[in-house]
Amino acid sequence: MAAPDLLTRHVERGGRPGDRYVRIVRPREFRRRGPGYVVASEEVLAPDTPAERVADTVRRLLFGARIASEREIHERVGVIKGLAVFASDNISSSAYATEEIMRVLVLAGVGALTLTMPITLVICGVLAIVVASYQQTLRAYPNGGGSYIVASDNLGPFAGLVAAGALMTDYVLTVSVSIAAGDEALTSIFPQLYPYRVALGIGFVLLLMIGNLRGIRESGTIFALPTYAYLVAIFGMLAFGLFRMATGTLPAYSAPPEWRAAHGAEALGILLILRAFASGSVALTGVEAVSNGIPAFRPPEWKNARVVLVLMGASFGLIFLGMSLLAGRLGIVPDPTEEHTVVSILTAALVGDGTPYHYFVQISTALILVLAANTAFADFPRLSSILARDGFMPHQFTYRGDRLAFSTGIFVLSLLAAGLIVAFQGSVTALIPLYTVGVFVAFTLSQSGMVRHWWKLRAWERGWWWRASFNGLGAIATAVVAVVVGVAKFAFGAWMVLVLIPVLIAIMWGIGSHYRRVRDALTLERPDPPLPTIRPRVVVPVNRLDRSALRALALARAIGTDVLAVHVSETHEEGQRMQQRWERWGGPVPLAVVESPFRVLIQPLLAYLDALDEQEPGRTTVVVLPEFVPRHFWENFLHNQAALRLKFRLFFRRNTVVCDVPFHLDEAYGEASEAPG
Amino acid sequence: MAYKRILVPLAGSAVDPDVVRLAVSIGKAAKAQLLGVHVIEVRWNLPLDAILDAELDHGEGLLAGAARIAAQAGGELETELLQAREAAAAIIDTAHERACDLILLGMPYRRRLGRTYVSRTVEEVYLGAHCAVLAYRQEASQ
Repeated sequence: MAAPDLLTRHVERGGRPGDRYVRIVRPREFRRRGPGYVVASEEVLAPDTPAERVADTVRRLLFGARIASEREIHERVGVIKGLAVFASDNISSSAYATEEIMRVLVLAGVGALTLTMPITLVICGVLAIVVASYQQTLRAYPNGGGSYIVASDNLGPFAGLVAAGALMTDYVLTVSVSIAAGDEALTSIFPQLYPYRVALGIGFVLLLMIGNLRGIRESGTIFALPTYAYLVAIFGMLAFGLFRMATGTLPAYSAPPEWRAAHGAEALGILLILRAFASGSVALTGVEAVSNGIPAFRPPEWKNARVVLVLMGASFGLIFLGMSLLAGRLGIVPDPTEEHTVVSILTAALVGDGTPYHYFVQISTALILVLAANTAFADFPRLSSILARDGFMPHQFTYRGDRLAFSTGIFVLSLLAAGLIVAFQGSVTALIPLYTVGVFVAFTLSQSGMVRHWWKLRAWERGWWWRASFNGLGAIATAVVAVVVGVAKFAFGAWMVLVLIPVLIAIMWGIGSHYRRVRDALTLERPDPPLPTIRPRVVVPVNRLDRSALRALALARAIGTDVLAVHVSETHEEGQRMQQRWERWGGPVPLAVVESPFRVLIQPLLAYLDALDEQEPGRTTVVVLPEFVPRHFWENFLHNQAALRLKFRLFFRRNTVVCDVPFHLDEAYGEASEAPG
Repeated sequence: MAYKRILVPLAGSAVDPDVVRLAVSIGKAAKAQLLGVHVIEVRWNLPLDAILDAELDHGEGLLAGAARIAAQAGGELETELLQAREAAAAIIDTAHERACDLILLGMPYRRRLGRTYVSRTVEEVYLGAHCAVLAYRQEASQ
């Protein structure tokens, strides 16, 4: 039997004698794609009630019109928007990487700041290795090669989960740290906003959440301007500074004496240098984002991703080097109160405090720092959807909303990041130690996975050895950094992340086991299984013998032959009256009366069903529930909703099918008014 | 002249997107209703209401595409599928029945025997329709 095609054909008379034509009427809600195959149109989502219409208008204003899945290719981004979406995290790190190194070094006195430049050079070297290794990853995994995919593909699912757990922790921290840093840049120029930094941070999270729920292309459009404004502002400032340095016209700068006096309590040892290196390594976060987000690029996806990766690394490296160089030459000392950032001090020294350009740099820095979180918003939902697809995260994470964004991931990320901002009172210094550990664990696993990948392909892939060498170098460099960062930051809060990652892995492993069990239980044993034969017992709970009950009884008779009506009565008299009424009716369905002296309806009925089950264990029971639906929603409050409560209890009962038979009261009113007499 | 109801016959040729965009721009000022129709021509050896799955799917696809183009151009295109022995008669009858005041026909640029070719359907609609008819011929270079 073929499925109905939902079309009706009306033959119409034409204008000329004998002319006829057929009008094929199709439901507006569906578009036919083939015999027995229709596609639901946006009409099915059209709001019906005024409240739904208002909600729909608000939704459209906030998130925009719905996008069909087939339009996905048009929602992808090119290099320009891709740089704004996927590179903002890494590029924005340049705003605070120099400062983080200086803040640690200065603990050993202002003289220790001379090590800022050498540490910057080492970090830039590691960045170059990581970028070069990820170039190989993009080529090898043109459909998306995040650490999770590469590690699980080459090193096994456990390694994949370690990478995923580490990355997800870091993505949440990216949002919190970036927004806290953006807050700091803003309060540095508008100190009166300082008391409201937590509220501001949560506001920024909400803004990013809404922007990202509008879809990746649109979030790229919204957030591209601040990214490029930052690049123009910082490169302009650095170019001016370097010009003045080259011409020997650098202004004289002298840090306030109380700032100099505030530092210098610790000795300059290897541990302090390692800590400075670890703090500066925050700069490397975000490199991963591009490889995870390859599917979001326009074709040729991996080539566009490669361009973005190179532009990102080059932009970041130049800013980081320029900033460290100029800060060293000017003798800038970080503000111990954290009220002024190094970027702000540097800009003020070069172009003058409170000048329009100073404001331009500060505001664009604040914006890019906030937008760095956008990279995590692009990647966390994508990674969680991949994990959900593989059965390691709840399936809800694969859901793509109206704008093709992974809505659940975006919501969860926003919630977690806002929670962290509140918990750490929006302090960058408090959050930074938690940051970066995870990302280096993921880098190491991804790069090690790539070495294995090239080894497996050695028979077919020319030049496999140099590709493997690049990735091997990347793996060693990032593993060293992971250990250094872990050790140096352990006591300052990194231990929390090192505890959290195994917990996350255990949770994901548990979810994976659950989904495996479900899949095994539901899998067909052969491709052409016969339909099992079920002869159910059909039970119809009836309160009264009325139209609603009759419709339910009629349906029950259509479902099976063994039909039984059950009436729960509160008193003996009521039970007898029901029996007499039933006999007078003389219908083909037997009635069982269950008297409930304690005036409870549901439990006696469930116990009666249990008793029936004991007579024939394992037999399927279909409970056909007559239920009337009032004309207005408020009329529901006038009824006791017994059917609803019973449905809820039956939902978890074994071998039980619940069949709801709604009886719309407006139909009954219509029938009554049409009845003769 | 403000048209209130415009009928756009769609045959699935390369000119369709241009005609739909033109219909949207013509109808925008007067907020005209746009009706896109595709006529499946049924051969004489089949009953008029024969179920022609392949033609039906093709028609559905091209009407959906036209509606999408109209939406992109900022208009709304209602669509209808018809079956008839001859497309022209069904187009004229539908325009009459739906009280359309303009039929906007599209003609792909084709040459036959050294002359620009005008299809029989276009010619018959042009000559037989009660309402105004506008024929849009594609540019020669396309």
